[in-house]
Amino acid sequence: MWKQMSRMAVFFLLIFALGSLAAAQVLNIAIPQDPDSFDPIQTVAAATSEVAFNIYEGLVKATPDGGVEGALATHWTVDQGGTKYTFYLREAYFHDGRPVRAADVVNSLNRARDPELAVRAGELSMIKEIRELEKAVEIELHEPHGAFIYALTEIYASIYPEGAEGLSRQPIGTGPYYLSEWRPNQHLELSRFDQHWSGQKPYFQQAVFLIIPDENSMVLNLKAGRVQLIPRLEVSVLHQVQGNAGIKVQASPMNLVQLFAVNNARPPFDDLRVRRALALGLNREEILLGAAWGEGAILDSALSPAMAGFYNNNLSDVNPYDPKRAKELLREAGQEGLRFTLTLPANYPLHVQTGELAAQQWEQLGLEVDLEIVEWGTWLERVYTQRDYDVSIIGLAGRLDPHAILVRYTTGNSRNFFNFSNSRYDELIELGLRAEGEERRAIYLEAQEILARELPGVFVMDPPQLAAMEEGIQGWLSYPTYVVDVAALYK
Amino acid sequence: MRRYLWRKLGGFILTALLVSFATFFILQVLPGDPARLMLGTEGSPEAYARLRRELGLDGPLVVRYLQWFSNFIRGQWGNSWRYSLPVGELVRQAFPLSFALALSAVGTAVLTALPAGMYMAARPRSFSSRLLSMGTQLGLGLPQFWVGLLLIQLFAVQLRVLPSGGSGQWGSLILPTVTLALPRTAVLSRFLRAGMLEALEQDYVRTAKAKGVPQIRVFFKHALRNGALGGVTAAGVQFAQLLAGTIVVEQVFGLPGIGQLLLAGVFQRDLPLVQTVVMLVVLLILVFDLALDLCLGLLDPRIRYD
Repeated sequence: MWKQMSRMAVFFLLIFALGSLAAAQVLNIAIPQDPDSFDPIQTVAAATSEVAFNIYEGLVKATPDGGVEGALATHWTVDQGGTKYTFYLREAYFHDGRPVRAADVVNSLNRARDPELAVRAGELSMIKEIRELEKAVEIELHEPHGAFIYALTEIYASIYPEGAEGLSRQPIGTGPYYLSEWRPNQHLELSRFDQHWSGQKPYFQQAVFLIIPDENSMVLNLKAGRVQLIPRLEVSVLHQVQGNAGIKVQASPMNLVQLFAVNNARPPFDDLRVRRALALGLNREEILLGAAWGEGAILDSALSPAMAGFYNNNLSDVNPYDPKRAKELLREAGQEGLRFTLTLPANYPLHVQTGELAAQQWEQLGLEVDLEIVEWGTWLERVYTQRDYDVSIIGLAGRLDPHAILVRYTTGNSRNFFNFSNSRYDELIELGLRAEGEERRAIYLEAQEILARELPGVFVMDPPQLAAMEEGIQGWLSYPTYVVDVAALYK
Repeated sequence: MRRYLWRKLGGFILTALLVSFATFFILQVLPGDPARLMLGTEGSPEAYARLRRELGLDGPLVVRYLQWFSNFIRGQWGNSWRYSLPVGELVRQAFPLSFALALSAVGTAVLTALPAGMYMAARPRSFSSRLLSMGTQLGLGLPQFWVGLLLIQLFAVQLRVLPSGGSGQWGSLILPTVTLALPRTAVLSRFLRAGMLEALEQDYVRTAKAKGVPQIRVFFKHALRNGALGGVTAAGVQFAQLLAGTIVVEQVFGLPGIGQLLLAGVFQRDLPLVQTVVMLVVLLILVFDLALDLCLGLLDPRIRYD
């Protein structure tokens, strides 16, 4: 009898121990919405690359400090002319067990640059030809291109098995996790891939991304212990977790450029004096305090300080807060009492709040600001596509390479919804692609200065990225791109 | 009876057609292009043109409507653009939750409102009746998202006795049910109170009292049957409304119901998803409405079907 009971007790203890062990290895992460599609060449949503970073890998991948390191390629070489790259492949396996072959790499990258197939094919248009070698791949470019290696870290350059179908729902990659379940509006379950080439097993056996659209609920779920990590906490709920025992917040720059876009083609905003008046009349310190609880970094141009290697930190004197000078400029331009519409995208609370504060400040210059809050679909249609607006606000997502960020301000670029045009700037962006090292840096410093002086818009801030998590969670890495690196986390 | 049914059926078909027409064209007129929304701020003009072609957005409007409508009737609901999954499957995943939630919320509301409403009618001037009446005011006035957050704070964060969100776990529907039931209880109990008070003043009630039927029997048998009619109709409408999803409560509790599905669909201009879901919900409500009408007939023989 006793023997039986003690055996039972041991049995239950064992189950209990196993159960708690298993429970300890699941990480629940709160995100506000579903990814769009896991097909690397079809997806455009940041919400997708955030999760997909753990599933797919390219030849190379981004590092937290903004650099590039080998992923499926152990290393690579560039020829004298700077146009021929050779990537040496490592031994790696796809989630379905197949080994990664050079042919898979060639196929994936060729599809990614085919405008008939890939949404963002244009971003790989520098590639002339891709050749399969013995355990290596050679990529030839039309001409040297400084942004090429960074482009290979993007999700569209992910490698998947040749002939794979249905990737949008069933991604097959080589990353440290594979997608084991996806229930729309509910959760995505990622499970550890034990044959990852690194040979290392991440701490968490499973990572479950829970869809929680409401930011207040997210916080309550963290407090209640249902989730252990909120990678992107809305700044408006920061005070709800601050000072909470058992929860910590790690802030880092988001590498997002928040700016008031000004329609440079529409009078009177074609007059630099008017744009300058808007810039000088903006008290960005106050905005940072009012809209972002004092977190984040003030921006003077189109690169965030997160782009450490290329950031121009000598621009803070170009447009200081100076309402007196702003009024003078408006008088000179004959635009005192100018009335214009400020269009705000409703789905971004931070932008709406920033816009409301700015409108008050501009009204103090004697301007009349009509606020118009529109839904995202309307914003994309009217402001972004038809360019039918006076002044608006948006956050432009960061990339690893400055070219990818700065090219949108060049004359005639399809994403230049500011209608900004400056010939010296266009020239610099061209030159930047062929330059290297210190020379390349100098080019982008000058380009940033032109943007600060000529003002395609009024740059505001790089908002803080706030990762809120349980005290026990360690290893959070902040990247200059939109990712959650689950493999680095442990408890 | 037969004529009544035919008339009802005619109205049914006409409403369904009108709704299909309206949802289709409203989504077309709304600013915001589905292809543009899918591409965001990074899309190139070539990608945009190709995507529009793929989504079949470049055909004439009327042709597209007829195509969609005939597919809908044949049960070919197509794939959601947002989720790249068959719309039917998405609905199958979301509907049971919305149904369970609607049932439990209205059920709870009815079970609470019945005694509360009757008490308020039986003792209209008592102190506790006034207290109840005030309570219903409060139930009506409090915003649902706030009540929801408050409940999570109390039961999931402080006491840790119920889950803070999600579905499928034990007890995960309790807090959403309470949140949804609160204003509905308030409405139902007020309907019931008003209906009962009115019924108690009717001649047949006085007659029953006069011929010596016991108070309690008069109240529960004679008056209730009439007095509850308004409440039953209201509960039916509430149930039908909840079947269409509850966007706010689903958002607060992170529940993957019809409301979330529809909201995500509207924001992304996911035409196949939104049109189909709206149509299905409307059909469901119409069917439900018909059933409710017939039920009311059973309760109240005065309602005639000719």
